[in-house]
Amino acid sequence: MLVEWIIKSVVIVLFMTAGFAYVTLYERRLLARMQTRIGPNRAGPFGLLQPVADGIKLIFKEELVPHNADKLIFTLAPVITVIPALIITAVIPWGDTLTIGGTKITLYLTDVNIGILYLMAVTSISVYGITLAGWSSNNKYALLGGLRATAQMISYELALGLSFVGPILIAGSMSLLDIVKAQSSIPFILLQPAGFIIFFLASLAEVNRAPFDMPEAEQELTAGYHVEYSGMKFALFFMAEYIKLIAVAMIGSTLFLGGYQGPFVDQFPILGPVYLFAKVIIWLGVFIWLRATLPRIRYDRLMAFGWKIMFPIALLNVLVTAVVLVLVGG
Amino acid sequence: MNDRLLSSTVDEAVSSRLSGLLTEDTRPGYSGYLVAPENLLEAVQILRDELGFDYLSSVTGVDYLEEDRLETVYHFYRSTGGSGLVLKSSCSRENGRIPSLTPIYPGAEFQEREAWDLLGIRFEGHPDLRRILMWEGFDGHPLRKDWREPYFEEEAKPFKSRWPDGKAVRSEEKTPFGDNVCFPPDFDPQTWQAEPETVIERLQQDEKPLADEEIQTDRIVVNLGPQHPSTHGVFRMTVMLDGETIVSLKPVMGYLHRNHEKIAERNTFLQNMPFTDRLDYLASMSNNFGYAIAVEKLMGVTPPERAEYIRVIMAELTRISSHIMTTGFLLNDLGAFFTPALYALEERELILDIFEMVSGSRMMCNYFRFGGVVRDIPEDVLGRIRQLVTDRLPRKIDELDSYLTNNEIVKTRCQGVGVLTDVQAIAYSAAGPILRASGVPYDVRRADPYSIYDRFDFDVAVQTHGDVYDRYLVRLQEMRESLKILRQALRDIPGGPVLAGKPQYQVRVPAGEAYGRVEGPKGELGFYVVSNGKPNPYRYHVRAPSFINLTSLETMCMHQKVADAVVVLGSVDIILGEVDR
Repeated sequence: MLVEWIIKSVVIVLFMTAGFAYVTLYERRLLARMQTRIGPNRAGPFGLLQPVADGIKLIFKEELVPHNADKLIFTLAPVITVIPALIITAVIPWGDTLTIGGTKITLYLTDVNIGILYLMAVTSISVYGITLAGWSSNNKYALLGGLRATAQMISYELALGLSFVGPILIAGSMSLLDIVKAQSSIPFILLQPAGFIIFFLASLAEVNRAPFDMPEAEQELTAGYHVEYSGMKFALFFMAEYIKLIAVAMIGSTLFLGGYQGPFVDQFPILGPVYLFAKVIIWLGVFIWLRATLPRIRYDRLMAFGWKIMFPIALLNVLVTAVVLVLVGG
Repeated sequence: MNDRLLSSTVDEAVSSRLSGLLTEDTRPGYSGYLVAPENLLEAVQILRDELGFDYLSSVTGVDYLEEDRLETVYHFYRSTGGSGLVLKSSCSRENGRIPSLTPIYPGAEFQEREAWDLLGIRFEGHPDLRRILMWEGFDGHPLRKDWREPYFEEEAKPFKSRWPDGKAVRSEEKTPFGDNVCFPPDFDPQTWQAEPETVIERLQQDEKPLADEEIQTDRIVVNLGPQHPSTHGVFRMTVMLDGETIVSLKPVMGYLHRNHEKIAERNTFLQNMPFTDRLDYLASMSNNFGYAIAVEKLMGVTPPERAEYIRVIMAELTRISSHIMTTGFLLNDLGAFFTPALYALEERELILDIFEMVSGSRMMCNYFRFGGVVRDIPEDVLGRIRQLVTDRLPRKIDELDSYLTNNEIVKTRCQGVGVLTDVQAIAYSAAGPILRASGVPYDVRRADPYSIYDRFDFDVAVQTHGDVYDRYLVRLQEMRESLKILRQALRDIPGGPVLAGKPQYQVRVPAGEAYGRVEGPKGELGFYVVSNGKPNPYRYHVRAPSFINLTSLETMCMHQKVADAVVVLGSVDIILGEVDR
């Protein structure tokens, strides 16, 4: 049992880190196509070794610590950011039970009955890393970026959390496995369209992607909270950002797109991870598409949007879902 | 004809109303009026309020070393169009003082600072007379005729050390470092510390607490630049922020200053033609155009018909390439990830291909000559231009329009941001799309037609709100109008020679002064050239539109968010090669 857990954990961590590397490549290639460019295609076939080259470059870069920075917090901040991103996906089911040679292997690390609470709790931790990075850098841009990140994430976490309530109510469980199983006939995107849209927008803000990439707004704050970071510490921030991107895509697919569900998944449980993977790829593609297309919303308008539009709609969505469930189910 | 009529009425009005204050400038080759410094403010007030010269285009100075005086030169225009009025006021070289026009024309602020910096004309009553292009520790005023740069060789090119028998001995090789480098007294470059706080202290002096503030907040000063992704070069905005709101902004420039004007005064007239390419390096053909017009006025030559048409074609293509790129990069400043910018660059490349075919160079074209252009356009290149103008560019501009104009985020980010009213725009001497977006239909091509622009049928693009969105709309509209002009020019272009007279290496320019101005993509681009009959210009001044447009930057950015300052700067469309010169 313990061995199985360790193997699964290692697989998940490795998958996420490798996934991070290739999401960067995916993003660069797709962006390039949308911008009438070619993109990186020199390292390896189709540029497949580009992430390796980037990784090697970042490892060997000099690490600078600004003169008056708080060295402990400055070093700790990227770690605080990257670890929650790595452990976020522990509760997400990749598939149902798989039988290999008579042994039953569950295609998920663990099925916690409060899986969604775990997600909420863990995603919130990484804000600390960003805020502390901005604070400890002793740089005004970084400070502004860190402050923006804090304010933005706090405001959008509310709407994000409320968008989770719809699937919880319909499935009647906070376990992600139960939620996926409840979608075997109909994915929740059809039952919860408003919830899906709120989740999508809030998750964009949560992972600081365009058009909500305020904390690292290149045009105003040069790079925001990680402006003073270099080398591997910068790579950790970069990694956290992209791993969170994958995690958000996985959570979204699980909650609204039926997770690992798909045709013939009952007969061949091994198809589960494949379906999940495909859904994540599409989800990421939409994120990248948005980045290539949209300008950035201004910070104050973003806050107004979060508090004055998203939050009430999310509340209303919860209310309507609950009332309808009571009426229909009761 | 019309021009002459207007100028004669101007003369009558001026002579009747201001006869006691002004005297006519009677030096051969010169025009305009002379005014004593003590009468300047009174005369200017009357000019602005009663005679309608509300647009102060250019302020500069000339150092007449032999007569021991500094002459300040003002070019006034009416924002309703027509020819201008030149006013000159002299003071002594030692401690000469001229009253500042900044209280009457706020647009004079940076230009007077520049004149103080480079020529040492002290403007009394100027609110903030500091150096603007040179650094604080600089000794002297480099545009004065007795100021000599380190490694000085001779007054004028071609230098004897390199001509004619090809002795390539540079004087900097003969002079060990530091031998004739001038520093201010008590200045030691080893121990000198820059004073980074001066601008910030000034900001803090300006600081006024907001009236209805309940929570006491700290303000922070942030330097946006000189190394910053959104300043389009080495430009710095020192902003004071209250939260994310700008309460004060001071532009700091001069990082790219190379004393263009001093170098140009050492060059011969023709050597300056390629040198103007380097001003606004995205619009070298327009720069050539302005300089050629100024010198042609002095020389009294008129280019042949075909050359005029070629000039117009090139200038309008330049305008399209500059505007399309500005639009693309404005979206970048709004936070779009390069997609609009790259779409814009694609079209610009096609225009640059044409420039390469006609002039041999994509950006530094060096294509115009006094009295024409350097070589003819081949017929197949004309065909390429025709195809581009009738087919590809209209399509692409419509595409840009459909993608951007109704984009929700673009609208919320741009509408009502960086507003400049029409009165402010004129007062701040704003030019080009900035002025027209504020509701002032002033375009030099129409207001004071040069070359053959009076023959073409086109509209002056104008909008009324004066915000970033309207500047974008004006640029979009202007590209369409440029296409209109191009189609007419390509239809009507005659055959014939492209250069009046034979090509000359050394042109004879009679003594006198001339101010040639064109409507460049960034605004009114003026060249003030004074000749004393020698092979080099005695004075050469560039009225750089993007430099003067920055005067109103603080007004536009006040009480906006820091993200908006970046967008406003993007909409002003500065090119640091032209701002810093």
